[in-house]
Amino acid sequence: MARKSASIALNERLSPYQKLYLLLIAGFILGPFIPLIIQSFAFRWAWPDLLPGTWWLEQRERAVLPLAWDYVISPYSQVWEATLNTVFIGCVVTVICLFICLPAARVLARESFKGKPAFEFFLSMPLIVPEAAIGIALLMIFINIGLAGTYTGIIIVHLIPTIPYMIRMLTAVYQGLGRDFEEQAMILGASRWQILRMVTMPMLLPGIVAGALFTFLVSTNIFLLTFFMGQGKIVTLPTLLFSKISGGTLDASAAGITLVVTVPGIILLLITERFIKEEAFGKGFGN
Amino acid sequence: MSKTKELARHKRDRTWMWIQLLPVMLVLTVLFGGALVLGVAQSLGFAPWFGVNTFPDFSYFGALWGDSFFWRSLGLTLYYAIAATLISLVMGVLLALALVRSFPSKSLYKYLYKLPLMIPYTVGIALAVIMLGNGGMLSRLMAFAGFIDDPSQFPQILKTHMGWGIIAVYVWKQTPFVALTIYAVLLGVGRETEEAAAILGANKRQVFFQVTLPQILPGIISSTLIIFAFNIGAFEAPFILGGGFPDTLPVVAWRYFNDADYTLQLQGMATVVSIALVAGVILYSYLAFYRRYERRIGRH
Repeated sequence: MARKSASIALNERLSPYQKLYLLLIAGFILGPFIPLIIQSFAFRWAWPDLLPGTWWLEQRERAVLPLAWDYVISPYSQVWEATLNTVFIGCVVTVICLFICLPAARVLARESFKGKPAFEFFLSMPLIVPEAAIGIALLMIFINIGLAGTYTGIIIVHLIPTIPYMIRMLTAVYQGLGRDFEEQAMILGASRWQILRMVTMPMLLPGIVAGALFTFLVSTNIFLLTFFMGQGKIVTLPTLLFSKISGGTLDASAAGITLVVTVPGIILLLITERFIKEEAFGKGFGN
Repeated sequence: MSKTKELARHKRDRTWMWIQLLPVMLVLTVLFGGALVLGVAQSLGFAPWFGVNTFPDFSYFGALWGDSFFWRSLGLTLYYAIAATLISLVMGVLLALALVRSFPSKSLYKYLYKLPLMIPYTVGIALAVIMLGNGGMLSRLMAFAGFIDDPSQFPQILKTHMGWGIIAVYVWKQTPFVALTIYAVLLGVGRETEEAAAILGANKRQVFFQVTLPQILPGIISSTLIIFAFNIGAFEAPFILGGGFPDTLPVVAWRYFNDADYTLQLQGMATVVSIALVAGVILYSYLAFYRRYERRIGRH
C-alpha cells in the first residue's frame, strides 16, 4: 500500500496535465514564429485573411526574390552592417571579459579571504542594478569624454552585464577542477608556466569555451546599453530591429529582419547545448 | 627565521591574490562607481558642462516626486515588473518540474524551450506585435471564428496601461530562464529526498511543498531577483508596447534626456536615481526577508 502510493508520488513519467502543459509552452514559444515566417513571404496580407491574399510567387514578374527578403539582403536595410557589428563587438567583449575574469575566478574558487562574500555580491551587482539606470548615467560620462557613439564605448559598457555571467561560470569550472593535478605536476618538477600550459589549460578549456559562448550570447542580445551608447551611429541586430518596429507595426521587411535577428540565437543554441551543461548553469545561478 | 620567511611568503601570496582580482574589480568599480557618483551628483544639480552647478540642490527630486505622474509611472513600472515576474515564476517552475521527468523527444524539447533565452527582447516584441496587435493573428483568428468583423472590435491588448503585451513579452523571455535555473537545481539535488518522503507516506502535495520547494528556493530567489531587476529597468518593451503617457520610469528618463531643453536632463538623472533607489530597496528587503526565513528553518 505504502509502496503503491510512493510510486504514484514519484512517477518518473509525465502526467497528462504535464504533457498538455509542455505542448502549450511549446506553442507559446514557437507558435508566433509561424505568422512571422508567413508575413516575410507575403506580398499582400490583408485583415482578416488567415493566409496572405497575394504571395510573392504570384508576383514573380515584379520581384525575383520575396520583396521583404530582397530588401533584407540589400545594403539599404543595414542588416549586413548590423550583423558584422554585432559579431565584432561580441568577439572583442568576450576576449576582454575572459582575460579579466579568468584570474579572478581562480581566486574566488580556491582562496578564502576576508570580505569574500561582499566581493562576490559586488560582482553580481550588474545583474540586479537596473540597466536603464546604469546606461543613462554612463551615457552622460561617455558623452563628456567622447566615447559615446564609438565601438570602444559600446564594448566597455557591454562588459558590465557580461562580467557576472563569466565570473560565475568560470568559478564553477575552477571549483570542479580541484588542485590535486596541479600539485602533482609541481611535485614532479613542472614550472608554473608548464603547469598552466600542460595541466590547467587543457582541463579548463571546455569550461572556458562554455563561458565564452555564453558571454558572446549575452553581448549579442544587449539592446539598451548599445542603443544608448551607440547614439544611432553604430547599429547592431537588436537596435536595428528596434528601429524597424518602434512604430508598433510589423511589415514584411520587419518580419524578415526579425527572422535574421533570430538566426544567431539558433546557431548559438545548437552549439551551447553541447558545451554548457545544465548542471554548470545551475552552479552559476542556483545560489 | 623560517617564521619570517613563511610570513613573507604568505604576504606575497596575498598580494598575488589581489593582483588577480584587481582587473575585474577595477572595471566594475570605475564603471559602477563612476556612474553612481556622477548620477547622484548630477541629479543634485551638478552639471558644469551645461553651466549648471547648484550642488547640492534637491529641487530636481522635489519637482519629480512632487508630480503625481511620477507616482503613476512608478506604479506602472512596478506593476509590469511584478506581474511578469510572478507569472514567469509559476510557469517556469511548472516547466522545470515537467522537464525532470523522462519523456520521448525530451532532448529536442530541451533545445526548443531555451530558444527565447538566446534571442533579443526586440524579437519578442516583434512577435507580440504580429500576434496581439489589432491587425494581428489573434484578431484574425477571432474574425475567422466570427466573434468580430472589424479590427477595431478586437480588444486592445497592446498600447494600453494594462500592459498585457509587455507582460507577455517578459513572460515569453523569462519563463525559460526560471525553468532552466530551477531545472539545474533539481538535477543538482537529485531525487533521493523526494523518494524518502514518498516512502514515508507523503503525498504529492506534501512532497512538493515540504521537500521540493525548500530545495529549489535558492534558485527561485536568485532567478526572480534577476528578472525583477531587469523588468524594472527594461526600456524597449514599454517603449514600443506601452500605453503612452504616463510611461514607465526608464522611458520617462529617456524622454527627459532627449528633450530639446537640456536642463531637463538633470530631472532625467533624478528619475534614473529614483529607479535605482526603488529597485535597491525592494531587492534588499526581498533578500533580507529570505535570509530571515533561511535562519528560521535553520539553514544558516
